[in-house]
Amino acid sequence: MYEAYALGTLDASERAALDAHLATGCAECAKAVAEARWLVSQLAYTAPDAGPSDMLKGRLMQRVRSEVRSASPERSATPGIPDWLSAGIAALLLITFYSAWTAYRAKEVLRASNERVAALTQEQRDAARQEVAAMEEQLVAVRRENAILTDPSAVKIMLMPQKIQAPELVAMCGKRGVVLTGQKVPMPSANHVLQLWFIPKTPGAKPMPSMSLRPDSSGRLLMVVAHPPDGVGEIKALAITEEPEGGSPQPTSAIRWMGAMS
Amino acid sequence: MDESGASPDAALVRLLLQNDVSAFEKLYDKYSRIVYSLVLRIVQQSGPAEEVVQDVFLQLWRNSARYDASRGPFVPWLLTLARNRALDTLRLKSERQRRLENQTDELYSVVVAPQYEKDLDEKRRAERVRSLVGELNPQQKRAIELAYFQGLSHSEIAAQLKEPLGTVKSWIRNGLIRLREGLQATT
Repeated sequence: MYEAYALGTLDASERAALDAHLATGCAECAKAVAEARWLVSQLAYTAPDAGPSDMLKGRLMQRVRSEVRSASPERSATPGIPDWLSAGIAALLLITFYSAWTAYRAKEVLRASNERVAALTQEQRDAARQEVAAMEEQLVAVRRENAILTDPSAVKIMLMPQKIQAPELVAMCGKRGVVLTGQKVPMPSANHVLQLWFIPKTPGAKPMPSMSLRPDSSGRLLMVVAHPPDGVGEIKALAITEEPEGGSPQPTSAIRWMGAMS
Repeated sequence: MDESGASPDAALVRLLLQNDVSAFEKLYDKYSRIVYSLVLRIVQQSGPAEEVVQDVFLQLWRNSARYDASRGPFVPWLLTLARNRALDTLRLKSERQRRLENQTDELYSVVVAPQYEKDLDEKRRAERVRSLVGELNPQQKRAIELAYFQGLSHSEIAAQLKEPLGTVKSWIRNGLIRLREGLQATT
């Protein structure tokens, strides 16, 4: 079965069944498939020996040198740091900066609102108090976000796109919660949202639904889950699917992003 | 192995991350022949084969960070990438569709050498595999070739060879088992 999967001879339904099983994170089957890929790759050596023209090498080297000269934005400018890691660091720096800025803004607005409340009528004071309460709520959310990001026990998880063209997402996951962020995230279809799932380690256990939302108009996605499932240590992976507005109790579509807790 | 314990190929791939053109050239000189042989066998024409080979090595240059040496040896990973690209060309897949799939299936494919595998130079490896595949019975060999070089499914092979589906599955399964056992025995 694994060799047929690696060889690509399984029919669509058989392949889909094994794909679905592999998506659950079965380490044994993933290893068997990886070894089967190795075995199948050896068949390449049965191809009759032939060499490409020298012109191909010339064209290729010219192309590569020209990309180096123009410092293509497709490649990381930071030597030694993989693209995904640069993206992760950039995303974390961005959300940390965003959090700090939002906290500063919220404090400023709070102080100004308190000053205004002191000089207002009763009706105006009630409205202002509501505004202050909303601001305090926002400040609490930002503090919670900062607490998760600065929790030394939190682990960083890269969520890789699954058969879609999209950038990786970065999540910080710890006892205090989960902060998940991404840039240039493709918008889900109309009346749909992106929903986060916690995949338990227990074999056969169902994915646990979490929050759902849409990226903003610039494609920025920021999810802050304040109350992760009890025992984050019992979670083996995070996954994201596209679900109808309001979220679903169980996944109804293929996984769009997935990242294993390492 | 280099000072960090990485294989020479993994060390060269790591240098690609630093835009090291000479490391890229070394990898091309070392593996372009086997990649081209494989791709030419699949697409059957030298012009398209060279285009696929160019594409494969450019993918390597631009996405070397996707190759994780801790998750498997380099050459089988490169050959898996090359085979998929060549089969895509054979099936006339659209560029967009290829881009989508390359981002996921190919570049993230994990290829793990089994415990019995030992480092062999390319020439000895080719001799060993050719000899073992040559020892398969003709039906097993034909079915495996149709699957590997033409990308046909069990059902498609059964239709082409006018044989029952179960028979074709057995030929491929047993042929690959014999190949694996042969590789185990000779290492």
